Amino acid sequence: MSQTDTAETAENAETAATATNRTDSHGVSTTAGETVEETRPEWTSYEAGGETKLAVDDLDVHYGDDHALKGVSMDVPERSVTALIGPSGCGKSTFLRCLNRMNDRIRAASVDGTVEVDGENIYQDGVDLVELRKRVGMVFQSPNPFPKSIRENVSYGPRKHGDIETGLLAKLTGRAEPDREEALVERSLQRAALWDEVNDRLEDNALGLSGGQQQRLCIARCLAVDPEVILMDEPASALDPIATSKIEDLIEDLARDYTVVVVTHSMQQAARVSDQTAVFLTGGELVEYDDTEKIFENPESQRVEDYISGKFG
Amino acid sequence: MSRATQTALVRDDRTLYEAAAGTAVGLAGVAFAAGLAALLGVVAIDDPVVGFELSVVFGAVLLALGVAVVGFGMASRLGYVDAAPQPSAGIVAAAAFTGIWVAVGAIVSGAVGLGTGGRLGVGVVSGGIAFAATALPREDIGSTVPAGTVTVLCGLSLVTGVVGPGWEQVLVGYNATLFGDTVVPAIVLFASLVSGWSAAKAYGGFGARGRNVGAYVLIYLVVCSILAVLVGLVAFVTVKGLPGLFNGFGVGSAALISWPFLTNGAGLLADIAGVFPALVGTVWLVIGAVLFAVPTGVGAAVFLSEYAEQGRFTAAVEVATNGLWSTPSIVFGLFGAAFLIPRFGNQKSLIAGMLTLGFMLLPLVLITSREAILAVPDEYRDASAALGVSKWQTIRSVVLPAAIPGVTTGVILGVGRIAGETAPILLTMGGGVLPAKSAAPDVLGSFQLSASPPFVSNPALLEATSALPYQLYALITAGLSGNIQNPQEYAWGLALTLLLVVLAFYAIGIATRYYFRRKLHQ
Amino acid sequence: MSLPPQTDWRASIERRLTGTREFVDDTDPEALAAVLVSMGSLLAAFVGFLLASPWTAVPFGAFLIATGYGWARHQALVARAVTFAMTTVTLVTLGLIVVFIFAESVPAFRYETASAFGVSVPGLGMFTQARWDAVSDPVRYSLLPMIHGTVMVTAIATLVAAPLGVAAALFIAEIAPPRVRELVKPGIEVLAGIPSIVYGFIGFTVINPWASGAFALNGGSTYLFVGMVVGLMALPTVVSVAEDALTSVPDVMKNGSLALGATDWQSMTSITLPAAFSGVSAAVLLGVGRAIGETMAATVMLAGIPRISEPLVNVFYGYETLTSLIARGYGSANGVHESALFAAGVVLFVTVLCLSVGSQYIEARMRRRLGGVE
Repeated sequence: MSQTDTAETAENAETAATATNRTDSHGVSTTAGETVEETRPEWTSYEAGGETKLAVDDLDVHYGDDHALKGVSMDVPERSVTALIGPSGCGKSTFLRCLNRMNDRIRAASVDGTVEVDGENIYQDGVDLVELRKRVGMVFQSPNPFPKSIRENVSYGPRKHGDIETGLLAKLTGRAEPDREEALVERSLQRAALWDEVNDRLEDNALGLSGGQQQRLCIARCLAVDPEVILMDEPASALDPIATSKIEDLIEDLARDYTVVVVTHSMQQAARVSDQTAVFLTGGELVEYDDTEKIFENPESQRVEDYISGKFG
Repeated sequence: MSRATQTALVRDDRTLYEAAAGTAVGLAGVAFAAGLAALLGVVAIDDPVVGFELSVVFGAVLLALGVAVVGFGMASRLGYVDAAPQPSAGIVAAAAFTGIWVAVGAIVSGAVGLGTGGRLGVGVVSGGIAFAATALPREDIGSTVPAGTVTVLCGLSLVTGVVGPGWEQVLVGYNATLFGDTVVPAIVLFASLVSGWSAAKAYGGFGARGRNVGAYVLIYLVVCSILAVLVGLVAFVTVKGLPGLFNGFGVGSAALISWPFLTNGAGLLADIAGVFPALVGTVWLVIGAVLFAVPTGVGAAVFLSEYAEQGRFTAAVEVATNGLWSTPSIVFGLFGAAFLIPRFGNQKSLIAGMLTLGFMLLPLVLITSREAILAVPDEYRDASAALGVSKWQTIRSVVLPAAIPGVTTGVILGVGRIAGETAPILLTMGGGVLPAKSAAPDVLGSFQLSASPPFVSNPALLEATSALPYQLYALITAGLSGNIQNPQEYAWGLALTLLLVVLAFYAIGIATRYYFRRKLHQ
Repeated sequence: MSLPPQTDWRASIERRLTGTREFVDDTDPEALAAVLVSMGSLLAAFVGFLLASPWTAVPFGAFLIATGYGWARHQALVARAVTFAMTTVTLVTLGLIVVFIFAESVPAFRYETASAFGVSVPGLGMFTQARWDAVSDPVRYSLLPMIHGTVMVTAIATLVAAPLGVAAALFIAEIAPPRVRELVKPGIEVLAGIPSIVYGFIGFTVINPWASGAFALNGGSTYLFVGMVVGLMALPTVVSVAEDALTSVPDVMKNGSLALGATDWQSMTSITLPAAFSGVSAAVLLGVGRAIGETMAATVMLAGIPRISEPLVNVFYGYETLTSLIARGYGSANGVHESALFAAGVVLFVTVLCLSVGSQYIEARMRRRLGGVE
């Protein structure tokens, strides 16, 4: 994992160079941050406006002996974009994967603390993972469409949840609703700004799409399940600048209806798309969490300031 | 986008329902195991259990299971529990239950006495009903009612004694008869499987989760059965073979350990017959095959992955290698008989067996070595090349050492495989059924120089020689009889010796793999 | 690769010649001589061996000396030449198998010539009538009874090995926790290691007598139980090849499915299995190949009567398969009878080779398709 992260740091730097560079003005140069400072609770006790969608309290993650996240607490407000930034190996991806329990896949991982979605702890007994992941969708770092047609990719989730039926049996028993499927596919693709590019080839294999299209297809696939929260793990890191800007526009647009949490390596991207930003630094600590503007203009922590101005990480 | 219905993130408490369904799954598991025991003759179906015949008890258990399974479905359908059934049980379940009910309909109507036409008709009708009952209603009914009723039917047939001890049915034209002793356990196995699957789905609350649980129960059952068969086989051979293997075994006599079964031949002079000649034959066979196949296979793998450019030649070699890998061992035997025997004195000989097995081992060595060499990261080669080291030096000092773990493991496992091969040496190496100790080949002591071509000869290599697997085969074809005290015990001891030799290679191979893997991770 | 036009063909030869000339010019003449002597004498030794000449030892000795000398002085070049020679061994072996088995089977094919539509076809008689009798008149060598037996055994074996094998592969690749996998995987490998004659021995001493009593049979040989035993033997092949195919499906695809709220089982059946479908079917094909070629268990457990069971699908008879026919008959047979055994070998070899090539083609296709994803 750290290997890919390093590779992407270089890639993001390139992306940053070509894209409009808004953060230049924020790059306040400071004296070299040699001093080791403590993380102070008040830097992360940020109260965002609006309803709290996700409430994380004192979250610890261990991978075997490795302490990947240390006591992270933060509240994510509804219908907004929250960016998670930080250097490689700081635990931001781990944190993201805790929010829909994808960490359960890694057997060595142990999670302590609570994550509440709409006030319900998702780490208590009896949580329905199917229901959780329907509500908290996820888009991955590299586009991962299924080796199926575009239509099947989009309708995959609803079909698996029994919301629409397309099989032979459904046709035999007259339960198939092609119109509903059609509407769902169109609505999801349109919401992901992909409909115009693919509406004439819905039956084509999704692997034939370009990288950017594949990633938007993955977003459409996620939207088709009608989630409330969308987690994105560096969704643009494998894409070229043009595809990246399309994804960024899409993220901003999605925040009108969904709660979006996006991990990114690119500070420019965080500054462009997010409403609030959480900065993780090495060792799995959440150092500062605040309005994006505040983080980039005037961070409280010296380490965050160094990181943002490029002196560290 | 608003959602019409909001399902709870945390499921309602279904403890009682889950406990009931879990118990049903467990009961089905117990019934399955008991059915297996009855099939294997560990218990008899007319043994009394709490005052009833076992067969009747089986019937009662199946009845209970069937009723319970239907009950789970009803409870969910009527909304007593919080389950998440999908609209239909799915095409796979529908097809399976259709097939089951066609068979049930045909068998039941046949037992009532209908002719072929009637049986077909009843079968089709009951199959159709089962299809409708599975496919049309919601999943909680569709995957329980057809399963439950078939289980109830099986249970009824046993409880009422329609099928039970003493029942028999002659399969006209098949020259076989079905007895209650085998049919009752078969019914129990089948019905417990169906009801267990259905109860497992209920345990998971139907829907996606229920299907997950149902499928997992079946897969775990499959894996457990495979492992049980493995353990059972090895244990059975061990138990049967130990008396023979340790016949006359002693510690502390003239030689430190005396183990006549391994150190004696089977001649008239030996008071305890042993397998020494065959054991030595197997050892030499393996040595010969390894000497031929390992250098050749590893060399070819080096050439293919380091020198050759990917093209028609490498593709042809790859196809040929995989073709050789899957060529039946008896074909290798035929080949050895046609090609090698005429060239080594026109009789079955040790060297013909060695080379035949070598030809068999070659593709195994080549495939695993090639995988191991390809797994060596290119960075190693680049780093070495960047230092100005020649290609061959790189291969010798960087690639091969890095590939050694994989090659070693592959060779050991391959040797284990060929050490137990019988068919090729049956046609090429032969040997006696019960060879005396003097028949053991003395390869090292038999080299002779001569003035005429071929200048070097070794009579031991050119003689028919016995090996463990061949001797076992020869004993079986001789009807497990012979000029020794207890041929049965001798044969089982021989089988155990062979099994231990082969499993030792596997154990060493697998242990080597773990050792290297652990070393790699540190 | 399409065939180049003739001019290209000439140019390519010329290029090769120039390349060779440059190579010869650049290489130390002594090294070149050593390699030439070494390879030439190896070829001579091979020819001598083919001709069964007692003088084979001479060129073979020359090969050893030349190679040893070259190895000491010009290791790189000699290593390359020797490894090349080793590579050709597989091709040569396959070629020799084809030549020798076919050559030996020619008399039998001649003997069983039958005419179809006025054309006499050698070997046709093996497949148009059903009598195999090498002793009493009329002596006929039909392979149909044995092909029927092989089909019966293979069909039952596949019914056992394919579903169980794929289920076990799914378990190892997708379901098992690491610790359990570390236990189950070697277990299945060990299952592959149990020698076939041991299976046969257990079948002969335990299963056959049991089946004889449990179903009131004449003798205990049944295709049913031979098939089940052979299926058990083919199982490890199916498991290991299918497991390779399943693990080669990228994890990101499975994660994508799980993140949409699909269960593990749904992800397996809708994503992993379809993506690995070619590999899994190749595994089943290879398993079928193993079952067809399995010899000892069938030889020991079957009755050894070359006859077709009646009715055709009667699994309670166990007569003979192609493999057991060869194993049982070879040695005591001679003349056309022996040649007919080679003909059975040809049928086996060609069938299994086709299965092998077919499964390789399917696997290559799968690799290409998944290759586009990663």
